Amino acid sequence: MSPTRPLSDQPDAALIAHFLDGDEGAFRALYERHTPRLRMLVQRLLGRDRHELDDVVQEVWLAASRGVHAFRGDAKFGTWLSAIGVRVAYNRLPLRSAEDSELSEDIPSPAEGSPATVIDLERAIAALPDHQRVVVVLHDVEGFTHEEIGEQLGMAIGTSKATLSRARHALRRALTEGVTNAT
Amino acid sequence: MRRDDDTPIPEYDADVNALFAALPRETSATDPRAADRLVTRLRHEGFFTRRRSRIGWPIGIAAAALLMALSAWGGWLAGRQGSLEEMLGRKDLTLSDRVLLLQRAGSAYVTAAESYASATARTDTTAIEVASRVLLGAAHAVARNHLDAGVAARLTNVLQPTATPSKPTIWF
Repeated sequence: MSPTRPLSDQPDAALIAHFLDGDEGAFRALYERHTPRLRMLVQRLLGRDRHELDDVVQEVWLAASRGVHAFRGDAKFGTWLSAIGVRVAYNRLPLRSAEDSELSEDIPSPAEGSPATVIDLERAIAALPDHQRVVVVLHDVEGFTHEEIGEQLGMAIGTSKATLSRARHALRRALTEGVTNAT
Repeated sequence: MRRDDDTPIPEYDADVNALFAALPRETSATDPRAADRLVTRLRHEGFFTRRRSRIGWPIGIAAAALLMALSAWGGWLAGRQGSLEEMLGRKDLTLSDRVLLLQRAGSAYVTAAESYASATARTDTTAIEVASRVLLGAAHAVARNHLDAGVAARLTNVLQPTATPSKPTIWF
């Protein structure tokens, strides 16, 4: 008889089946496998409000756990989980005050004459207005199409494109001239 | 009026594209305490209870009842195996087994009669009558089935009065 494969080696579908059967270890294996990517996505979507990060990640996993029995495996589990993460994070954004909707001016720009770094890009993305940041993260970082963004966020495709256009202008300015104003 | 769909989207230059490509896709290792909190929360919501065991309760009870019934039947069968009642009902006994059965049946009859006598405080004419008839019936059965090699029948013939009277002899 062959020995049972360790949980960490089992595919998502098997872990989900074990989880639905009440196996806590299978859930922990899923959590450890997918949380790093989910956490990075949510962190970028939230921008500077990272104090909500843990709450949002937990809310995503709770929603996923409650609905995992309906997961049919049409998409990868990680993709399905990311979609939940986008919805949960995006729903937090309208709760913010209007003054946060403009690009912050206190984000340090790259040093004079030195090329921008990944850290500069992260800061510039984080400083974008909420809706621009979400569209940039989904389109330019995660590779979503405008159709997928429109479906995820409940916005028109044209709105997604226009938002991305404004966001890219702002990012270019932030990375080359320093952060001034995104509007 | 210009529609949003017509908005030109500026492309990044190669350096910015390279920065996007270099962005990390994952955070570092997860916090185990966060996983513990999540597991606790899910447990309160009813997760991590073995569904298989819940389904198995009725099956387990049914299996136990079936096992008990099988055990009782097996015990009854084992107890009955070789009993006088079981031997009397069998048709496949050898001759020596039948002799043994006859001996056992006789012993059982004597034991039952003794038991009956000891349990009866005074003389019971009914009991005497029953015992006599049973013995007579047994004797008839022996004769009827020629279990005594015809001894009983010959004895009966000898003891019976002659059915036809002999012709009178005329003496001169």
